[in-house]
Amino acid sequence: MVVKRRTAIIAAMSIAATIALILWKPTVLIYGLQAAGLYAAVAIPMGLVLGIVHIVNLSHGEFMMVAAYAAYSACKALGMDPLLAIIPTAIVTAIFGWVIFQLTIRRALKGPELNQLILTFGLAIAFTQTINLIFTSQTYKIPLDYVSASMDIGDITFGTWSFVFVAVAIVYTYGLQFFLTKTTTGKAALAVGQNPRGAAIVGIDVYRTYGLVFALAMALVGAMGALFLTKSAIFPGVGTPFTMKSFCLIAMAGVGNIPGILGASVLLGVAENFLRAFRPTRDWAEIVFFVLIIVVIVGRSLKGRKS
Amino acid sequence: MNRNVSRIFAALFGILAIALPLFAGDYPLQVARNIMLYMALAITWDMLLRSGQISFGIAGLFGVGAYAAILGVIRAGMPAWFSIIFAAIFSGVVAFAIGFLILRLRAMYFSIVTLALGEIFRIIIHNLHDFTGGPEGVVMQQGVIFGGSAGKLYWLTLAGLAVAIAASYWFEKSKIHFALTAIRNNEISAKSSGVNIFRWLLLAFVVTSAIQGLLGGIFVQSYGFATPDTVFSADFTLLPLAMALLGGVYSTRGPIFGAILLGLVSEWLKLKIPYGHLVVYGIIIIIVILFMPQGLKQLVRQPANKTDRRSA
Repeated sequence: MVVKRRTAIIAAMSIAATIALILWKPTVLIYGLQAAGLYAAVAIPMGLVLGIVHIVNLSHGEFMMVAAYAAYSACKALGMDPLLAIIPTAIVTAIFGWVIFQLTIRRALKGPELNQLILTFGLAIAFTQTINLIFTSQTYKIPLDYVSASMDIGDITFGTWSFVFVAVAIVYTYGLQFFLTKTTTGKAALAVGQNPRGAAIVGIDVYRTYGLVFALAMALVGAMGALFLTKSAIFPGVGTPFTMKSFCLIAMAGVGNIPGILGASVLLGVAENFLRAFRPTRDWAEIVFFVLIIVVIVGRSLKGRKS
Repeated sequence: MNRNVSRIFAALFGILAIALPLFAGDYPLQVARNIMLYMALAITWDMLLRSGQISFGIAGLFGVGAYAAILGVIRAGMPAWFSIIFAAIFSGVVAFAIGFLILRLRAMYFSIVTLALGEIFRIIIHNLHDFTGGPEGVVMQQGVIFGGSAGKLYWLTLAGLAVAIAASYWFEKSKIHFALTAIRNNEISAKSSGVNIFRWLLLAFVVTSAIQGLLGGIFVQSYGFATPDTVFSADFTLLPLAMALLGGVYSTRGPIFGAILLGLVSEWLKLKIPYGHLVVYGIIIIIVILFMPQGLKQLVRQPANKTDRRSA
């Protein structure tokens, strides 16, 4: 009952805030949603890995960066559009992720949680620096016409291409929901996530499932890497903020709550763009999510101690 | 017998370290200074790790100390030597304040929050243009401490390292060692044996942060300028971590060996491959975690392992 009332209050407040924003600064809402789509689409695969394999993959954003570079190389060599590279990049990244999982992460799964944290941190550095070694720290970008598509409503003009990220985020959320509840492999993965030992007893190959889930998550991130290339310039450190942001969103939504990531990313995206809309606060937009992550984690720990 | 031999070695090494500026040129001194700085940071990281808490926020507190020192000189007119002490105190106070919030967190949540705090410090300093100089940073008008004499700067860094080593031995030899080890091994049983977990963690966090601040102060005084990107560089988190892991954690010796080895290797690699020589650090971290979780210490001191485990 108490929970219900609180949800209702939060819902009412967010609806009121949305209406106020639409009337006052509509671009904040539009760009906020676009940013939210990007954040959510990158965070959802990480949430999948954290929920089922139970590791915090600190090299998550770096996988996306590597995928973006792979897509870039393919596009340059074959002269094709990044959009065509989405599927191949996803497949390549999935294989790459599977190999990395088998070679490294799998061996650390039995060890303490801290080892996994340091291991994936090491992976992140190795990826960033290897790319740095091959491509140097120069930025690369593929110029595309359709990215600058824009739309007018009333007297405001805004870019529409980034809405593709929102679409991807929604597809990921509901696709995963379908996969985890309707298909046999997905149900097995969910079972492994809830109780690895129980799943092993009923005959599920736990490590195979972990490998599959990790590869699937990397495929989703790989697709995002190619899509990210359409919009942004890439450089070796481009994926690093996404690791932190993804973790922040998952911590806000709660581990295992994939639809919750959508809501959390809307909050983050809109808050960042809200600060960016005003000149004096523009530089502080970057800090929002670091503050948010601390507030969320510390808040949860305080609440957990009370109950 | 064995202990005496190692003591003699340590003493010889100490004398060599102190006497280095008398016969070495500027370039070796510069390399030695860098290695000592990272070594000291590695030791402080390891000191907190002994309680089971992994901090990714070394660069954050290092940077806070660095800015405290340089702004102390520029804005408050402190003498250079005092600004270094001020840096230590300031970082310690900051750590004391945030410790109340974050030391209740465990495992990945603690690590992530320390990483986030480091970023917050960087962004705050980046954005307070009028006070901190913003992204361009600040330069000290009166120049580097000791007029930039290579030998004296070396001794200054050595003094910072000595503080870190002394603190680490204090942690190892006093009852802090037992408290931190008990917390690391099993928090519930430590608590039921009457260990005040929060108090010991706060002590360890404040002491390590103060030393990190001190090193930040020394760093900034010996280069004479600070920008957010240099003093909050991820290197200050990454390199010490790799060094301590390579040498072997939960000891003072491990980070020292790790720092000497990695420091020399990376200096050599820097000349060979200017871009991306840091890849070595990533690979070392991965290999160490996978194949030798106790670091090089494991290979060197195989027979002594049993006594180690008993006392640990």
